[in-house]
Order: sequence, then C-alpha cells, then structure tokens
Amino acid sequence: MTDVAIPWVLELLIAVFLLVGALVALLGTLGLVRFPDFYTRLHAPTKASTLGVGCTLLGSMIYFSVIKEGISAQEVLITLFLFVTAPVSAHMMAKAALHRRVNAVKRTRQTPWSEE
Amino acid sequence: MQLALIILVPLLGAFAPALRRRDPVWRLALFAGLPALLSFSLLLSLLPQVLAGEVLVYQWDWISQLGLSFALRLDGLGWLFATLITGMGTLIIAYARYYFEGKATSGRFYSLILLFMFAMLGIVLSENLLFMLVFWELTSLVSFLLIGFNWHSQGARRGARMSLVITGGGGLLLLAGLLLLGQMAGSYQLSEVLLAGERIKADPRYPVMLSLVLLGAFTKSAQFPFHLWLPHAMSAPTPVSAYLHSATMVKAGLFLMARLHPAIADTELWFNLVVPTGMLTLMVGAFVAMFMHDIKGLLAYSTISHLGLIALLLGLGTPLAVSAALFHLVCHALFKAPLFMMAGMVDQATGSRDMQRINGLWRYMPVLMVLTAVPAAAMAGLPLMSGYLSKKMLFVESLQVSYPFWTTVVPVWVTLAGLFSVAYSIRIFHNVFYNGRPLDLPIYPPRQPSRRAMAPLALLTLGCLVVGFAPALVYDKVVAMAVNAASGTLVPAYDFSALSVARWPMIMSIIAMIGGALFYLARNPLFAIHSRLPEVDAKNIFEWIVDRAIAYSQRRVYQLENGSLQRYLALILVTTVGLGGWALLRFDQWQGPIALSPVDAMSVFGASVICLAALGVVVFHHARLPALLALGVCGLFVTLAFARFSAPDLALTQLSVEVMAVVIMMLALSFLPQRSPHESSLPRWTRDLTVAGIAGIGVGGLAYAVLTRPVDSISDFFLANAVPGGGGTNVVNVILVDFRGFDTLGEITVLGIAAVAVYAFTRDLHLKERVAQIADEHWVADPHPVILSMVARLVLPIALLVSAYIFLRGHNMPGGGFIAGLITAAALTLQYMAGGLVWAQERMLTQFRPLIGGGILLAGVTGMGAWVFGYPFLTSTFGYFSLPLVGKFELASALLFDLGVYATVVGSTLLILANLGKLMTVAGPGKEIG
Repeated sequence: MTDVAIPWVLELLIAVFLLVGALVALLGTLGLVRFPDFYTRLHAPTKASTLGVGCTLLGSMIYFSVIKEGISAQEVLITLFLFVTAPVSAHMMAKAALHRRVNAVKRTRQTPWSEE
Repeated sequence: MQLALIILVPLLGAFAPALRRRDPVWRLALFAGLPALLSFSLLLSLLPQVLAGEVLVYQWDWISQLGLSFALRLDGLGWLFATLITGMGTLIIAYARYYFEGKATSGRFYSLILLFMFAMLGIVLSENLLFMLVFWELTSLVSFLLIGFNWHSQGARRGARMSLVITGGGGLLLLAGLLLLGQMAGSYQLSEVLLAGERIKADPRYPVMLSLVLLGAFTKSAQFPFHLWLPHAMSAPTPVSAYLHSATMVKAGLFLMARLHPAIADTELWFNLVVPTGMLTLMVGAFVAMFMHDIKGLLAYSTISHLGLIALLLGLGTPLAVSAALFHLVCHALFKAPLFMMAGMVDQATGSRDMQRINGLWRYMPVLMVLTAVPAAAMAGLPLMSGYLSKKMLFVESLQVSYPFWTTVVPVWVTLAGLFSVAYSIRIFHNVFYNGRPLDLPIYPPRQPSRRAMAPLALLTLGCLVVGFAPALVYDKVVAMAVNAASGTLVPAYDFSALSVARWPMIMSIIAMIGGALFYLARNPLFAIHSRLPEVDAKNIFEWIVDRAIAYSQRRVYQLENGSLQRYLALILVTTVGLGGWALLRFDQWQGPIALSPVDAMSVFGASVICLAALGVVVFHHARLPALLALGVCGLFVTLAFARFSAPDLALTQLSVEVMAVVIMMLALSFLPQRSPHESSLPRWTRDLTVAGIAGIGVGGLAYAVLTRPVDSISDFFLANAVPGGGGTNVVNVILVDFRGFDTLGEITVLGIAAVAVYAFTRDLHLKERVAQIADEHWVADPHPVILSMVARLVLPIALLVSAYIFLRGHNMPGGGFIAGLITAAALTLQYMAGGLVWAQERMLTQFRPLIGGGILLAGVTGMGAWVFGYPFLTSTFGYFSLPLVGKFELASALLFDLGVYATVVGSTLLILANLGKLMTVAGPGKEIG
C-alpha cells in the first residue's frame, strides 16, 4: 500500500506524531522503573497511555485517512476510550492503594491540607 | 391391540387416583377398580381363543438392533397369571376401600397398586425377554414404594430398603442370565427361545446362565436364603401384603421358572439347584411360621413355605409335577389372600396383630370366623378343600422322584413339612377365634367389621370351595392350558379320581394331619423353649451389613478422592501420561516432513513472556493477586499470538474471555484465604515437578510432531464453501453458526447449564465470615467512587455500540455473537463494579435465567425453522437486500442463531458474576438474582 504517494508535509507530521508518542511511552516506562513508590509510579504509565498512545493514534489516523478514501474514524473511538478510562483506572488504583494503606516514601509526604 | 390395552389400561388408570387425591375413598376405589376390572374382562373375552391353544402375539419394534421390542404374548400360562393378577387386584381394590376408610393416603395407594398391576402384567405378558426384565425391575421399584408406604416408620423404611436390595440385586443377576440366554438361543423373543431348548441345554454356558436366572427367580420368590425380605415386607399396609406378597409379586419368580421351563428346565443341574432350595424353603417357612405371634408374620412365613413347595414341584421333573405346581399356585392365591384380609380386619378391629393377645374373637365376629375357616382349612389341606388336593398331588409327585438318594428323602421331607403347615393353619384359626378370651387389646371390645368389607373375602372363600369340590373342572378350564404352555407339550389331563384312591399319599396326608394337630397341642412348652432362644432380627443384621458396606466404600472412595486438588490433577496427568506414553513407545519420528519456519525476534519475545508469566503463576501462587495477574499476562500474549498468526476472531474472543475470566476469578478467589501456607515438602516438589514436566514436554512434543506434518483436514472445504454455502466471508463465524451449528447449540446449552448450576450452588450460601474486613472505616473506604460510576455510565452506550457493531459484521468480518456477548457482558460488569450490585440489579431490564433460556430457545427454534422448508435441522439461508441510506446489506437466518448465542453468553456470564458478587455483600440484596 506504500505505492500511494503521501505529501511530504503530512509525512513529516505523521513521523512527528509517531516519534513523540514513542518518546512519551518510553518516558512512561522509564518512570515506572525509576520512581520510588506506588503513588509516584502511578503517574508515569498514565501519562504514557494517554499522551503517548494518543499521539501514535493521531499519526495512524492521518496515515490511513490519506492512503484510504474517507476519514479513518476508528482511532477517534479508541482515543475516546483511552482518555475516558485511563485517568479513571489510575484514580481507582490510587484509591485502592490508599485503602490498603500502601506506604509512600517519606519525601512525598507533604500534606498541604495538614489538619494540625 | 387388545393385548396392549390389557396392560396399558392400569397404567393410564393410575393417574386418576393420584390426581384426585382429595376425593372420598369410595370414588378413588372406583377410579382404580374400573381399569382393573376392564383388564380383567378383556382377558376373559380372550379366554376362548386361548383355550383353543392360540398364542396371541402383538409386536411393535422398538430398538431392533438390540433385539429389544415392545412385544406381548398371551398364551395359557400368561392368561392364568394375568387373570390372577387382575382379578385378585380388583378384589384387593374393593377390600382396600374399607381398609383405607378415612385415611388421606388412599389416593397414593390406589395409583401405586395400579402401577404395580401394570408392571406385573408386563412380566407375564411379555414376548421379549429384555422387555420382561424392565417390568421385572419395575415391580421391585413399585414394591419398594408400597412396602415403605408408611414412610414415617423406621421399620417400613428398612423393610422397603431390604426388599429393594434383595429383589433389585436379583434383577441384575437375572439381566445377566437373560442376556446369556438370549445369546445362546440367538434371539430374545420368547417364541424362539422356547423352541431352542436342546441347543441351550447343550451350550457350555448353560450352568452359568441357569444359576443367574435361578438366582433372579429365587430372590424374587423369597426362596431360602433370600426369604428374609418377605417377613419384613409385612410392614406394608395389609392390602399390599395380600396382593404383592402372597398373590402376585412373589409368584413372579415362579412364573419365570414355569415360563422358561421348556428352554432351561429338566436337567440334572436344574433338579439339583431347584429341588434342594425348594425343600429348604418349604421346611424353614413352615417351621418358623408356627412360632410367629404376629398374624401377618405367620402368614408371611407360610407364604414362604408355599413358595418353596411350588418351586420344589417345578424342579422335580416328573411328568405331572408342573400341573401340580400351577394347580397349587392357584389354590394358594385363593386361600392366602382372604387370610391376609382377615388379618387386616382383625388388626383394625382390635388394634393388635399379636395372637397371644387376640383370642376368642368368635364372640365378636362370627361371620368372619366362618369365612376364615374355609381358607384356613384349605391351607391345612383338610379333605374336600382345594389345599387337600394340591397337597396330595405333591405327595404323589414326591413318590415318583427317580434320582437315587432323593427317592426317600423327598417324600419324608414333604410329609414333615405338611405336618408343620397343618400345625400353623390350626394355630391361625384357633388362636384368633378361640383359645379363651382376648387379653388387654388396645381396642376393646373389638369393633365390628363392616359386612360389605367382607364381600371380597367371601368371594375368594367361595373360590376355595369351588376348587375343592370341582377340581377337574377348574383344572381343565384354567390350569391345563397353562400347563401345556409351560411344558411346551400336550400334557395328559390330570386324573383326580385316581388321586383319592392312591394309597401312599393317603397315608402321608393322615400322618401330616394327626402329627400337625399333636404338634399344635404341644405348642405351649415349644413356645417357652422358643422364647428362651436368642432373638435374631434379620433386619438388624441386614442394616449392619449395609452400614459396614457403606463405611467400607466410603473409606475406599476417600483413599482415592480426599479433596486434594493436587492429587486429582496428579492422577489425571499420570493416567494421561501413562496411556499416551504407552501408545507413543514405538513412536520415534518426532520431526515431520514440513520445514520449520524461520525464527524472528517478535515470536521469541512473545514466547518467552508467556513462559515467564506461566512460571510466575507457579512462583507467586501463594499470593493470589500476583498469580492471577501473571495468568492474565499469559492470556493476553496468547491473544497476541492469535492476532499475529492471522486468527483475528480467536484473538478477539480470547481478549474478551480473558477480561471476564480475570474479573470472575478475582471475585471467586477473594473467598479463599488471601495467602496459602507453604506446606510442600521436597519430595512432593520433586514428584509434582516430574509429573508436570513430563506432561508438559509430552504435550509440547506432540504439538511439534503434529505441526510438522502435512494435515489433510476439512478446512479447505470450509474455506471453499463459506461464501456459497453459508453466505459469509468470515469462515470462523460461518463454521460456528452454520457448518457446525449443532456444536454451537450444544456449547451454549452447556454454558447455560453451568451458569444455572453456579446460581443453584450459591443461592442459599451465606458466607458470614465475609463481613467487613480490614479497616473499612478508613476514609477511602468508598465502595462506589463517584468518578468511576459516572464514567462507567458514559462508557456503557459506547461499549454497547461496539458490541452491536461486532455482532452485525460477524458473518463477514471478525466478530460474531459470542464476542459481542462477552463485550456486552464486560460493559455491564463495569456497571456492577461501579454502581454496586443493588444499584445495577435494579436497572437490569431482565432476569438472567430467562435470557439464557430465551437464547437457547431462539437458537434452537431458528434451527428448527429449516424444517418448515424441508431442510435438515440448522440449515441456514441468506439473501441480499438494500435499503435507502444503509445501502446493500445481507441478512442471514444465521444472524438469528447468533443472536441466541449472544443472549446466552450475556445471561450466563452475568448470572455467574452477579451471584458470586452477592456472596460478597453482607446479607445479599433483598431478592434473588437470577
């Protein structure tokens, strides 16, 4: 299917989206390894799954809209799902961790609404 | 057709009393009496034909491959028994109308007795041996219900169980015997078996077959030592005892011996098996009867003795022995049934059956006394009575035994037994009606039995007299044809005038009568000796044996099945490896001719992840959540593998199954302890590792061997025919809903059953320990967070849309009812998790069980729709249509089928999930989830 010629602007755009998406995903993975405790670690893959996969999907959307007729809308649906579900999953995981009293590292324990 | 009617009328009649249980007894008796009478008169109407020697056969093939057919046969022997059964049954039904006066259980009695009549008629009228056996077992079963009629009494329950074990066990032996007999004769049809006597007796398997058949007959006819069940069957209501345990069922064994007489009898082995058994039974029954204080007990043992007598006659093999046997059988039915009826009346009048207390009833019931005198005299064998003749016939036959040793033993033996039978006959009459005055009866003065209740009794008594006065007439008209049928030849007419002048039999009779009277006079010292003997209750011994047997088998079962899942798995795996290994011993070529595909990085990576995750499950299995997650990883990578090797349907299915499986497993596992202890020792580790390793490597090796060989499968046919035959380009879906639609129908049925089983198991389960765990008062203990529940509601329509999309396109592109169902289920599960069980349950539009049932029904009905157009089950049709806006689209009847699949999947998954979820809540929601 590569015999369809893609304008270089679009090609660039697609490449940028794909690369940014891959980069964010990489960062998310790194974060998962590097961060010290559950709560901080939770941040990394959440961002990666929304931003990273979102960018990749945008790239894919442009690509398939060009080489096929009409706009490729499936990716919109996927993105929608991801944007709705990823934050909620992260939220639920955080709640579960709090509920089970998973320990957080000392450094992050700054309670802004300190009740003392 | 008339033959079929004879046995079917009681069966159909059995429904009426059961359905109209609340009606007064007389009407129920009418409901029951009419069918019995109808059968009886049908039989009478056939008498001329039977007398003429015709054998009426009615045949309707059932499973001809097994030699099993619904075949009836009416000849002299069958006619005699069938007439006894229906005639006696009618009288018993009439008698029971008074016995059950004012009792609520009469409806049950009447329908059971008709059912029993049906089974009994089936035995005596069957033309096919296997068919006869079905009825044989049926009589055991109905008899079990009738003996245990008063199920609240322990004695009745035990007696019922005992009789079922003995007669039912005998039935199994008989089955084996009849199968052998059928093989030896080359047919299960009686007409052919009866003609094959020579061949059967020459067959080397004859002794085995004969022993099995006779064991069946002996257990049913209460021959020693299987007689023990009969006295304990007396806990049944009296009409039952009178009918089953004197006139009909116990005679089934004798009937069988008479029926098969031409085919299997009159060999030395037959004589040696039947005669000693009959003699022992005759003597034991007659002797013990004398010492029974219970009227029914005495009658039971006397019945045993008479059964032994008839068996003895059937075994003798002298020319006229069969005539004597059948003649005595008729006499016995005629005198034993009225005696039982008398026992029932006395029991109801005085509240007791103990002959040490019931005395001198002649003052209160003179009519009953007169009516009892005749059958009692007949039983004793006094002159002019029917029993006198039949007993004398026995003596005559006993003198003609030609086997050495037995020539003297048999006559002496039967004279002695005759002596005892005279004694107990005198006792039952004298003790009940004379012998002083009643001693502290529960009901005093005794109630007057109703005159009309005595009508059946009077009729039977009259019968005794008729046989006594005109034996030749009765014999010629009724018994002779049965004898001819039983012996397979024309037997000369019995010469009754010669009987009265025969010298030795006369002397034997006189000895028996005088001896019996003397024995009775000496009863008091004898009773005293008897009461000092240790009491042995066969029922207790039987129960002891049963208990021991149960305990033993439980121990044995536990040795194999001790609740350890590891052991079960190990057993299954070892068996598989053993069998498979044995088959593979000579298999040396693992590598097939197909070349291996090149290794690429992605495949290696995926395979290693699956391996590592599987290993992870093992390593983490003490902590359930990580283990479950590792299992999920395995599943997801399998999904990827499917997607990679171009099986998108499988991938989609696997993905949605994986999601639901993890959710349900998580729910189910939460009921188990959160951590399992480390308890495996090193030897067990080694053992488990070895077994699992060999099994895993074996499966891997097999897969390798199969995948490297060219397989000529049916898939090419499916690929070629999916579009022309099924109208779909998605071959997988076409296979599911069309080519192999029957499989799918079976699978969704199983799925539905499994779900309903989970529902049934958990419905009444309360897990009290599940209440409130760690620190639920903590501030995050918010079971249904707002964010989640709001978003879940938002997601639902989108998910349903996806599900509908997947469903509709299923026929041509990856998708279909199964996947769509799982997606819908997942979306609804989310609602349950987010909003809570009660919240979600309130909003469900339907219950789940109707959904499951409806789905299966829809699939089934769609399949049946093909019949309307003359196609086989589950043939699908399709066509192309076009609508404005939508464009051209395809409609296939398979879509409806798929809809059924969809509904079943959704219903089953949610039924399991919601019911497991219900267990998590403290008290469960107010109403059932189903």
